[in-house]
Amino acid sequence: MAPTPAWVKKLEPSGPQGHELLAAERAKSNVPVEKLQELLFTKKVIDQKQKVLDVLKSEKVFDKSQNYFAGRTERFETALARAKRLRNLKLKHNWTLDEFRTASELISEPGPYGLHESMFLITLNEQGTPEQRDEFLVKANDYKIIGCYAQTELGHGSNVRGLETTATWDSQDKTFIIHSPHLTASKWWIGSLGRTANYAVVMAQLIVDGKSHGPHPFVVQIRDLKTHEPLENVHVGDIGPKFGYNTMDNGFLLFNKYKVPHISMLARFSRVNPDTNQYVRQGSPSLIYGTLTWVRSTIVMQAGSVLARGVTIATRYSAIRRQFQDRDAPASEVGETPVLNYTMVQIRLLPLLAATFALHFTGKSMMNLYSENQKKMNAKHENANSSRGAGPEETQSGSDILADLHATSCGLKALSSTIAAEGLEVCRRACGGHGYSSFSGIGPWYSDYLPTTTWEGDNYMLTQQVARYLLKSARAVIAGSAPSNDTTAILTSFRSRASIGCAFDILGSSSDLVAAFAWRASFLTFEALKHRDEQGKAWNDLLVDFYRLSKAHSQYMVVKNFYTALQSPETRGAVDQNTLAVLHSLFRLYALHTLEQEGSEFYASGACSKHQISLTRTTTVMALLAEIRPHAIRLVDAWGFDDWVLDSSLGRYDGKVYEDMFYRASELNPLNRITVDPYPDSDVLFRRVEGEGVRSKL
Amino acid sequence: MPDFTDNLKPRYDGTMTLQAERDASAINVNELANHLLSRDGFLERQEKVLRVLSKEKLFKKDQQMNLSRPERYHLGLARAKAIVRITRREGWDHEDYKMCEYLNDEMSPYHLHMTMFVTTVREQGSEEQKKYWMPKILDYSIIGCYAQSELGHGSNVRGLETIAKWDPVKQEFEIHSPYLTASKWWNGAMGRTATHAIVVAQLLLPTRDNPTKYEGFGPQTFIVPIRHAESHQPFKGIAVGDIGPKYGYASMDNGYMLFDHYRVPKSAMLSRYAEVSDETGVLKRHGHTAVVYGSLTFVRGQIIMHARLVLARAVTVAVRYCAVRRQFRDRDSKSDLDEEMKVLDYPTVQIRILPLLATTFALHYTGEMMYSLYHKSRETIEKGDFGPLAELHSASSGLKSLCTMLAADGIETCRRAMGGHGFGGGSGLVGINADYLSKPTVEGDNWMITQQVAAYLIKKMTSAVKNPTAPPTDPTDELFQFYLKNRDHRIPQNVVLSADINDQAIVDVFQWRAADLSFRAYEARVVEKKSWTKLMIQLHTLSRAYSEQILVTTFHNSFNNTTSTLSSPAPAVLRTCFRLYSLYTLDQFASSFTLTTAASANSIYALPDAILDLMADLRPHAVKLVDAWSIPDWLLESALGRSDGKVYEELFDMAHRRNPLNRTTFNPDWRSEEIVLGSGDAGHGLLAKL
Repeated sequence: MAPTPAWVKKLEPSGPQGHELLAAERAKSNVPVEKLQELLFTKKVIDQKQKVLDVLKSEKVFDKSQNYFAGRTERFETALARAKRLRNLKLKHNWTLDEFRTASELISEPGPYGLHESMFLITLNEQGTPEQRDEFLVKANDYKIIGCYAQTELGHGSNVRGLETTATWDSQDKTFIIHSPHLTASKWWIGSLGRTANYAVVMAQLIVDGKSHGPHPFVVQIRDLKTHEPLENVHVGDIGPKFGYNTMDNGFLLFNKYKVPHISMLARFSRVNPDTNQYVRQGSPSLIYGTLTWVRSTIVMQAGSVLARGVTIATRYSAIRRQFQDRDAPASEVGETPVLNYTMVQIRLLPLLAATFALHFTGKSMMNLYSENQKKMNAKHENANSSRGAGPEETQSGSDILADLHATSCGLKALSSTIAAEGLEVCRRACGGHGYSSFSGIGPWYSDYLPTTTWEGDNYMLTQQVARYLLKSARAVIAGSAPSNDTTAILTSFRSRASIGCAFDILGSSSDLVAAFAWRASFLTFEALKHRDEQGKAWNDLLVDFYRLSKAHSQYMVVKNFYTALQSPETRGAVDQNTLAVLHSLFRLYALHTLEQEGSEFYASGACSKHQISLTRTTTVMALLAEIRPHAIRLVDAWGFDDWVLDSSLGRYDGKVYEDMFYRASELNPLNRITVDPYPDSDVLFRRVEGEGVRSKL
Repeated sequence: MPDFTDNLKPRYDGTMTLQAERDASAINVNELANHLLSRDGFLERQEKVLRVLSKEKLFKKDQQMNLSRPERYHLGLARAKAIVRITRREGWDHEDYKMCEYLNDEMSPYHLHMTMFVTTVREQGSEEQKKYWMPKILDYSIIGCYAQSELGHGSNVRGLETIAKWDPVKQEFEIHSPYLTASKWWNGAMGRTATHAIVVAQLLLPTRDNPTKYEGFGPQTFIVPIRHAESHQPFKGIAVGDIGPKYGYASMDNGYMLFDHYRVPKSAMLSRYAEVSDETGVLKRHGHTAVVYGSLTFVRGQIIMHARLVLARAVTVAVRYCAVRRQFRDRDSKSDLDEEMKVLDYPTVQIRILPLLATTFALHYTGEMMYSLYHKSRETIEKGDFGPLAELHSASSGLKSLCTMLAADGIETCRRAMGGHGFGGGSGLVGINADYLSKPTVEGDNWMITQQVAAYLIKKMTSAVKNPTAPPTDPTDELFQFYLKNRDHRIPQNVVLSADINDQAIVDVFQWRAADLSFRAYEARVVEKKSWTKLMIQLHTLSRAYSEQILVTTFHNSFNNTTSTLSSPAPAVLRTCFRLYSLYTLDQFASSFTLTTAASANSIYALPDAILDLMADLRPHAVKLVDAWSIPDWLLESALGRSDGKVYEELFDMAHRRNPLNRTTFNPDWRSEEIVLGSGDAGHGLLAKL
């Protein structure tokens, strides 16, 4: 294509310019962006992020400008090059694990070492014996072997007990025979397995002497360490292109009576005694559930920042994009209105903006609760190890609270990842036509995030676990044998007022608003209990009720945690009164908007009246939108996304939306190097291709 | 290459599973398929075209997800050319050509040529212009596109920045882009393919008193050559190119275009309705544009008919896969020997998929109604009299908005209901999801155009309040008058009463809710004079409620026809679909139905159980109902949705035998810069591309 003509280069967007509009937006509000950002992340984390970012920006291999154009194989190649470089940089700059994670987060694409660095290392560490850690973990830490975690199969996902791969103990030669009896036994979706890993932790049904002992982890070499070709009787490869995640080689894996030595079975919690050929259990794997709770808390907190990226882009662009003149605008105000002034756009974006903060504070407080109680638990362990028994003050220690947190965290994971995934799509659509362009930065981000709604437990499946736990707690409350935690507290309080009702002032008092969420969740718990225990309904028929119940309980958790965070001295000391008031409006918007969406459940439970819901919808939510609107840009600024990370024309900090769209289209776009023959009668497709030719790949 | 995997079979046989599903329902699939898809010989045409296209190697779809953007366009152009040539070779008509595009299932670089480009010339060109251009267009000796939206402007045509200045001396227009935001943007086929464009630009004419001053006459359409017929290079004064990758539409070259004082002759302005006078230089308007609005209603009807097929496709994949996929034994099961349950038996899966299955039929009957109404009133429209179409035209923007949103969201719901495999390329929903997602924003943003419906309803309500006894001219008048007469003593209706569902009451509550919301909007805007911007959310809700009322009423009206033409159990099953769609919608917006005093609180409480029962009734027929939509496997391009149930065999084959990434061995060691093992290239080739 001919170089951009001078007359094109001279053109500017029609006024007012994007940077002027954003500057005016920022001048309208006095929310202290830096202070708020420090409240969210702490100064230390922000500085560290900046340091890592500077390193990444200076490396050519991390340049993002061609990401949106490349095909599957190219994207994978680049991702592998990046993963290698990142490992080198970690050593060169002596990065801590936190800094290394920050770097991955800033690059924002799944990489081929991803599962090695997470599940493979964690599993070796948590489930290996000291001997096995010496054998495998040392090499793995040094990347001498590259691993992955092979659990899911072609025919089975969430249900681990249904896995089809078998590991049969051979008492003759003291080996395990790993085998895939059906096509559906093929491991599937396994990250880093397709082209990268030479080792895998394989979950297989352990069979000893004809008896099955359920799924167990085995460390298995799958590729030659020199040629990187699969070993004999191992069949492995990449599963092909996906909705997103195309920089990752998710793989399949089949075994044909493949022998592995005794040491392969990770034996911290159970083993096969090679002398007696007996299966032995030892120790309790319950500590692992702690890790799972931790992982879910991070998913909740991440959901806040994942969504914040979309909200940042859509909010900035909506402050710049103007469309139609206000129907009622006075004649003196000519020109079109920025769409962010339309309540129709506000009602889509501002509740999501509120949700980013709600999720962030919820995740943060879960993590705090987790570490505090973990400490108490450990202290108790130490005491138990000493000869003295636990004193009375310790019997209420962390375990009840941790158990509560573990059970409720799956519901929160489901709710928060659903809010984030769906919220991103709402943001994309709120950008109108340009949201559909890859340069919006939202679409590709959304497609990479989507699997979070199905992994670590499918969001719908997880809700059953929460329901089961809530029913158990309700039974304990009725029996008077309940442990003391937040869940039993709200259920007990509900029961004590069940026959006299409640009157929550949801619009006048924030603590009443939180109480209304607790009331509705408790109401639904006892309703479900009635269906299951009194009416004896089948579990399967109650699944939809359980889904609603879990959602209600998780929404209560978010509302409560957001509210608590705003009351905490940590928050109150960090920002001024005005900012606190804005945060409080965000809290009320999130809570009331949710309440209004779920209106019929609140009404049915008696938590509030029809009239209150009506007022919420027509008056209060509208007033809150108007209160938050002037601060919208500064509030998204506080999330602190660097333009390099957003990789978005629409979400640029400086508002140069149209200049950037045009630049990417006309200068970065490889398609414009091609001149075609457009007529159907001619077989010629591309007459001329500047630079590299397009290979025919059909 | 044969290996040990060749002999492996899935644990449960998918083909037998689906056969058992089909045996369990007595629905006559062929009869239902004909009922749904006989308009314009759709089914026979689909078969005829499929036979030919599926034999052509160029239309093989299994590699396209691996291709980069420039490669996808390359392929798209090759297919576009092939379709034109095949159509000529086979002697096919335009309907056949459209069927080719539907089955090819990607946006063709010729798509705009045969839709917006040719339609605009036909509808807005003068007789003389049509005589000149139409043969060239139909012959493909020029390739056209339609350049309306701009970098800074989408829905608001009056805000466009491109200008066309009339030069009375040279009798020419000067087309110019005064700002960067005036750049045409998003226009399909313009990036690399088109030789000509319809350009929508603000017409500026010199004023009589002072020829250096110009006056604006609003947007007009111009037919403009943009690339040289031989070299295919842009003409001087034009900067044009492709806008880059998008969420979907990879095969289409959506473009940008800027003009630098680019001159075109007077004949470039399409002049059926307006032209610049030779003598006086003023704009002469003639004729009325009513016909154009008539065809807009038709286009929206087409969009709804397409939406139902797109949704049907997603539901087909989800229903078949969820009937084959098993997960967990029933929690209440007592025996270890029980098989794992099919996930379609889980209510948590049913609640996501079965209401959408019911929605495909709801969309169908409304689309059909719009078609027949259009055809019936065609002659009167040509004379400018809308007749019964007037009301429909006003409602059609709301319907288009609701139906495309139901389809777009429905695809994604189906994809997620399939768990992990839904995310994989083998679902067949990745491409369609990405391509279809443009619909809620293309051709008028769904949130914006719903305001038109609301404005119309407020007007209607205002006149009903003023004159409540005037003879009604359409069903909306009747509804509003009924509402005004009864609003003071309304008794909320029992839609469900002790497990009995009242169909008439369903229709009533949907209508009442729409009327009540119209009245509230009227009060807020006309009586209380609230600002339009403040009311937008409320108006959006109103538009949706009104459109839902049309879907429900029309579906209900279809019963007479289905009962008399279809054999048992189809009519009863369709009635179940009607109830499921309606009650599911009621449940979703439960508070709206109670706040408007449409439905009784008792029936709202009864909804969850009623919905569970309806889903249980519908469940055995699910596979046959999706079979009736007759989506060919070739179009589905989905391992999960195959009609023969060979889900796992196909997934494995795609991954193992047809995946180009598996042809390369990589070097995973981070110490080595080499990426492809044995290539000796220390990553340099890669860096050069970045």
